[in-house]
Amino acid sequence: MAKAAAIPAGVAAKADSHDHHAPPQLKVAEPPKELEREPLVLNNRSLTWITDAIAGVCEKPMPKWWWPAFILSAGTMGMMFSLIAYLISTGVGVWGLNQPADWAWDITNFVFWIGIGHAGTLISAVLCLLRQKWRTSINRAAEAMTIFAVACAGIFPVVHTGRVWFALFPGYLIPFPNSNGIWPQFRSPLLWDVFAVSTYGTVSLLFWYTGLIPDLATLRDRATHKVRRFFYGLFSLGWTGSNRHWSNYEKAYLILAGLSTPLVLSVHSIVSFDFAVSQVPGWHTTIFPPYFVAGAIFSGFGMVLTLMIPMRALFNLHDIITTRHIELMCKVLLATGSIVGYAYGMEFFIAWYGGSPYELYAFKNRAFGPYWWSYWSMITCNVISPHFFWFKKLRTNVVFVWIVSCFVNVGMWFERFVIIVTSLHRDYLPSSWGYFTPTWVDVFTFVGSFGLFMTLFLLFIRFLPAISITEVKAVTPQADPHHPLGGAKGHHH
Amino acid sequence: MNFPLFFKRILAALACVGILTFATARVLAAEHAEAPKAVAGQAAHAETPDAHGHDAHGHGGPDSSDIVQQFGYSYLTAFMFVLSLIVASMFFILIHHLFDAAWSVPVMRIAEHMANLIFPWGFAALLPIIGLALAGKLHPWMPLTDWSLTPTAAADPSLAVKSVMFNKLSFTVLLLGIFGFWAWMARSFRGYSLAQDKDGAAIWTRKARFLAGWGIFAFSVTVTVAVFLLMKSLQHQFFSTMYGVYYFAGSMWTTLATYYGITRWLQRKELRPVILPNHIHDLGKWFFAFTVFYAYIHFSQYFLIWNAAVPEETFWYVLREKGTWEHMGFLILFGHFFLPFLLLLRIDTKMSLNVMGPMIFWAWLMHYVDMTYNVMPVLYPKGLNITLWDPLCFGALVAVFGWAWLKDFRAFPAWPQKHPRLKEALVHHEIPKAGQAAAHH
Amino acid sequence: MSAKPLGLLAQFETAADIMNAALAVRDAGFKKWDVFTPFPIHGMDDAMALPNSKVGYFTFAGGLTGFFTGMSMIWFMNKFDYPLVVGGKPLFTPLFAFPVSYELTILLSAFGTLFGLALLNRLPKLHNPLFASERFKRATNDKFFVFVETADPKFSETETRALLEKLGASAIEEIQDTKD
Repeated sequence: MAKAAAIPAGVAAKADSHDHHAPPQLKVAEPPKELEREPLVLNNRSLTWITDAIAGVCEKPMPKWWWPAFILSAGTMGMMFSLIAYLISTGVGVWGLNQPADWAWDITNFVFWIGIGHAGTLISAVLCLLRQKWRTSINRAAEAMTIFAVACAGIFPVVHTGRVWFALFPGYLIPFPNSNGIWPQFRSPLLWDVFAVSTYGTVSLLFWYTGLIPDLATLRDRATHKVRRFFYGLFSLGWTGSNRHWSNYEKAYLILAGLSTPLVLSVHSIVSFDFAVSQVPGWHTTIFPPYFVAGAIFSGFGMVLTLMIPMRALFNLHDIITTRHIELMCKVLLATGSIVGYAYGMEFFIAWYGGSPYELYAFKNRAFGPYWWSYWSMITCNVISPHFFWFKKLRTNVVFVWIVSCFVNVGMWFERFVIIVTSLHRDYLPSSWGYFTPTWVDVFTFVGSFGLFMTLFLLFIRFLPAISITEVKAVTPQADPHHPLGGAKGHHH
Repeated sequence: MNFPLFFKRILAALACVGILTFATARVLAAEHAEAPKAVAGQAAHAETPDAHGHDAHGHGGPDSSDIVQQFGYSYLTAFMFVLSLIVASMFFILIHHLFDAAWSVPVMRIAEHMANLIFPWGFAALLPIIGLALAGKLHPWMPLTDWSLTPTAAADPSLAVKSVMFNKLSFTVLLLGIFGFWAWMARSFRGYSLAQDKDGAAIWTRKARFLAGWGIFAFSVTVTVAVFLLMKSLQHQFFSTMYGVYYFAGSMWTTLATYYGITRWLQRKELRPVILPNHIHDLGKWFFAFTVFYAYIHFSQYFLIWNAAVPEETFWYVLREKGTWEHMGFLILFGHFFLPFLLLLRIDTKMSLNVMGPMIFWAWLMHYVDMTYNVMPVLYPKGLNITLWDPLCFGALVAVFGWAWLKDFRAFPAWPQKHPRLKEALVHHEIPKAGQAAAHH
Repeated sequence: MSAKPLGLLAQFETAADIMNAALAVRDAGFKKWDVFTPFPIHGMDDAMALPNSKVGYFTFAGGLTGFFTGMSMIWFMNKFDYPLVVGGKPLFTPLFAFPVSYELTILLSAFGTLFGLALLNRLPKLHNPLFASERFKRATNDKFFVFVETADPKFSETETRALLEKLGASAIEEIQDTKD
């Protein structure tokens, strides 16, 4: 399985020719030195080293910084839940949104968080189908991020209804008739959202858990403490590494990747339907589905870099999350950032080309109206900042990459704010124009959601392997029975 | 579960015949039917031909009895079809370089020569289009000479803004400029590739990557503009931000089917030493992926326009739900998506010539139907109207471009001889048998 | 606790060794045996002559159920049981019912896949006689194992052991049935 990228091409071709039909008559030269691919795991680490390095992180006591970080995150999370309690007990008036901007920070935060989640699924599913083996070092943590981000996202649409018990009670979100016998109506994109987000959360969790099973078995077998052995044993379901199991497992994993790929496209498409099926100028545009998906991947990779760069340094994982990984992620940022840029441009172009005066006004108002600062923050962060990554020097400078990744996070939050608030605050009737300003409750609820996210993430690196032990091993030359490092002795069978 | 070959062949043929029969039956039924039923929720404007309640804004509507227009629209449909192959080949090359891909190396020359059809053949084919457009035979709403007669922004804002792009000068210069850029880009890529055949130097790869880097931006913008100029603007009131992506998605789909066919054919000839089963499988997978991607894009466009029900946009689909056009729409839904999707869901069908062979021709037919669906309702609002021009134009363009491609292909080495990833491309990846795993390859 | 021998567990050091061993054990005609590796090894399914995995059928069944559940649920709720015109849209069309049905397709496909995986692998199975072996703990770390069951008609304590030794096993131990 580990062929191509991880090992010198000459060895691979030779090893393969015995049982496959690599054309023997063709003499192909090695690529020029400067174009050779870099290995995925540096310094030729052994299988044992990989297990120790990754499993060691969650087996040893956490480093000194972990507890302060955890307490800070948990405190921030507590603040969010207190503010939600305040919101529910008082009413949505504690937020700044009001006619005409009925959606503001709440839905902005929802779309922001759900977008962050998309990198995880993209890395684990799409890159798996594309045979991008570099994903193995980052997919586990990215998938965990997905789940935590979906958890953060789910909070906002629920609490923004104000009287939450009606939202959760029969007849609004859950397909169950209300007291008048009326069912929820499925012509509303908000109900599509309910299904999309809950499916996304569930399938991501299943996918993540499926990937974890063999690693949990590793932790079970290494556990020295009874309690740990019990829990890892319970959740690893009695995994043994049997090849009869691997056979089904790999098939299931491939299918889950195949299912998650259209799922990840559909989720943000459906989120974009919340806006695009309406008639609001600035919201109704047909490019929204793919544009939202690209934006989500963009923001997700931004967040992956923001978290992974410190994690790699703090736990000394430089041989597994290599500079090449970081570079590749920068290229994904560059590509998706450019797609987002294309969509911004296309929106403006069509606003002019379509000749609808309302549409044109909505876009002029975005860039030069009272919220011009948010629009230009978005452009700076999303369209301009990724273009530094044209330069290899900057892509390989981790501090710089980290700073740009933070810009991307900020920019993508602004994007959703721009779409939602600037389109709503001035529509057809100038008499009902307004200007939205957030209250302190808005601000701190959003800040608090980072607390929830970080708390979950810190617990994750405390108890679970943050990198897939199994999959990293599988892309090393040691895992390849046809490679000398995998024990091959020139010829066999 | 392994069906015998002839059974698979019969199954695939039956499905094709079934869909065609279904479509024909519906077409015939519709000709005897009453006025088309209005879709609930769109009833209000279902009867009006366009957003503004009249056909052609006083510039003389398309005239389906004018033989020049008949020819013009048929020619445009065929032209958009062959342009698809060129444009998608260009994208294939760009992505190959950007991703530093290995699997696509053996089929690179197929793409490089196809992209290079843009010059001189693409140019030659474009000239009649420009001529027809400037003679007012394609965009009947275009005032061409005197935009001062154009309704003011107050009367028809959607027409007023178009004077910038749709006057004789801009239209010609934009199209020639775009085609010129494509020709230059395609030439450069093939030039680098051929130069590397001789010395295998890294510099050619570096140059190609650099060009691909900025080229992808220029490419996406130029494709969008070209499609707007040539196809979307036939009904000037229509606007859809997705339209460029829509044309691109369909183009990639057809082109991948074409590559698949050519690869299977040359596998036993020129490309014999370099084509492994996994290359065939990869092409099949990409074809499958674009089956889904096209459906996603087209569904999204339709779905958003249907839901919002803004008359400025719905008129475009309302026109295409009249008469037999409605059935062409269903043919696209089932033939462009459901049939290939369900047939290719299994791993092994992507390798089976019995399934993929007919599928290639089917993909060509479906893409042609798709182009027809975009172009023809403007001229024939009552329903599908096949004239002799259709097979003539299509046959002529495909014959010329096919011959030109073959001539180029035979003139140069059949694959990039010293491509740095050729070695890697020749490493076999196991193709999962039906129902077997290969998640980690 | 009875101590019935269940089979022989042989440890191998490299991916190539285990591959060789699997081929040899297969060719010797064994049926009740298995290979244990820390990660899936490319080509091992063929080396063990395993049939194709059946997981896909569970996925397909799940997906089909999901899609039709979605469509019929929406039809029943919005068109049949309590028709209510909203936004000038038809009471039912597959069009607006598509997003939800699509999500349910994916959801139930995923559940179907995992259900199929658990069923085919007979998991969870928390008790396993192999876990009694201290050596076997490294099957999830860096060692490779072949386990041949005594229940196999070809099994013979001496010959099988000799075969495994010849194949280069670094250690061979007997696994006991630890069940009460």
